[in-house]
Amino acid sequence: MIDAAPPDSAELRRVQRLAVTEIIPLFIPAIPFGFVLGLAIVESPMPDGIGLLTSPVIFAGAAQLALVTLVGTASVWAAIAAALVINSRHIMYSAAMAPVFAAQPRWFRRLGPFMLIDQVFALSTQYVDRHPDVFRRYYLTTGLLFYSGWSVVTAIGLYFGSFIPASWQLGYAPAVMFLGLVVLSIDRRPALIAAVVGASVCFATIALPNRAGLIVGALCGVIAGFLADRDPVA
Amino acid sequence: MSIGTGLAVVFGVGAVTYLMRAGLILALAGRTLPPWFMKALRYVAPSVLAALVVSLVADPDQANTGLSLAEVAGLVVAGAVIWRVRNLMMALAAGMTAFWLVLAVA
Repeated sequence: MIDAAPPDSAELRRVQRLAVTEIIPLFIPAIPFGFVLGLAIVESPMPDGIGLLTSPVIFAGAAQLALVTLVGTASVWAAIAAALVINSRHIMYSAAMAPVFAAQPRWFRRLGPFMLIDQVFALSTQYVDRHPDVFRRYYLTTGLLFYSGWSVVTAIGLYFGSFIPASWQLGYAPAVMFLGLVVLSIDRRPALIAAVVGASVCFATIALPNRAGLIVGALCGVIAGFLADRDPVA
Repeated sequence: MSIGTGLAVVFGVGAVTYLMRAGLILALAGRTLPPWFMKALRYVAPSVLAALVVSLVADPDQANTGLSLAEVAGLVVAGAVIWRVRNLMMALAAGMTAFWLVLAVA
């Protein structure tokens, strides 16, 4: 049910306070992630300033981490392809939010999607049935807080990363981070099948030039998950 | 990597990422993608992230395809921790500790 009456300013302030308290528990896990990203930027052949720019420009942690780690080992095109494939899940969020954004002013329809990350999507789905002004205040508060915090945390990781000795082998940390994200993304059996097939095919095709095995593995995993999913498509 | 190439890569990936997030909200308002496509998108995250882990640890540039005992130990421990407690920070700490321990011993 959509709220009929527009919210007064007290209501908007209340929503804003709620947004702040609800984004914090989702931002805390992003702090070590931002550190790992900062360290990965130090290790990457990408200039530090350019690596740091991925946070305000791309604003998608897993894709940024894939991009800066892969440019060191694979071709630039393989790194770009991996980052974009990772981000393609955002098309799902865009589809889910399209009817909600239809009630929003044009400036917000253009600006809002820039902040459509996993955390903001997950939180703001609670507010899709509220008045458009309430939804917008909640979405913008969570999005802007995460956006600024993310850039700061990346910069801190980059700063400290330059003092850490190479013998710590922190270049390994992104692999651990991605494994954690894999496990968190497995909510059902078809997702498990997608992960196992994606990893196995990538391993079998690891010798392909330009890390093409990554994309081949990812595609096979998606197909396997799709086939294992018994939900009717239409 | 030169500054120019780096800027092109970052802004290029940023622009396409924005289009993925904004596309259905802006241009396709009122229209939807085919259901099979939306269903397939559900499996992008587990599949590509799992392939990425393999791609990062099994380095084809190394003669023995690079899967070291320490790397495997770190992944197994981190995987077990996150499966139990669903906490990325704890999984990262446990995985790195296992990795360093095996590196020191082996």
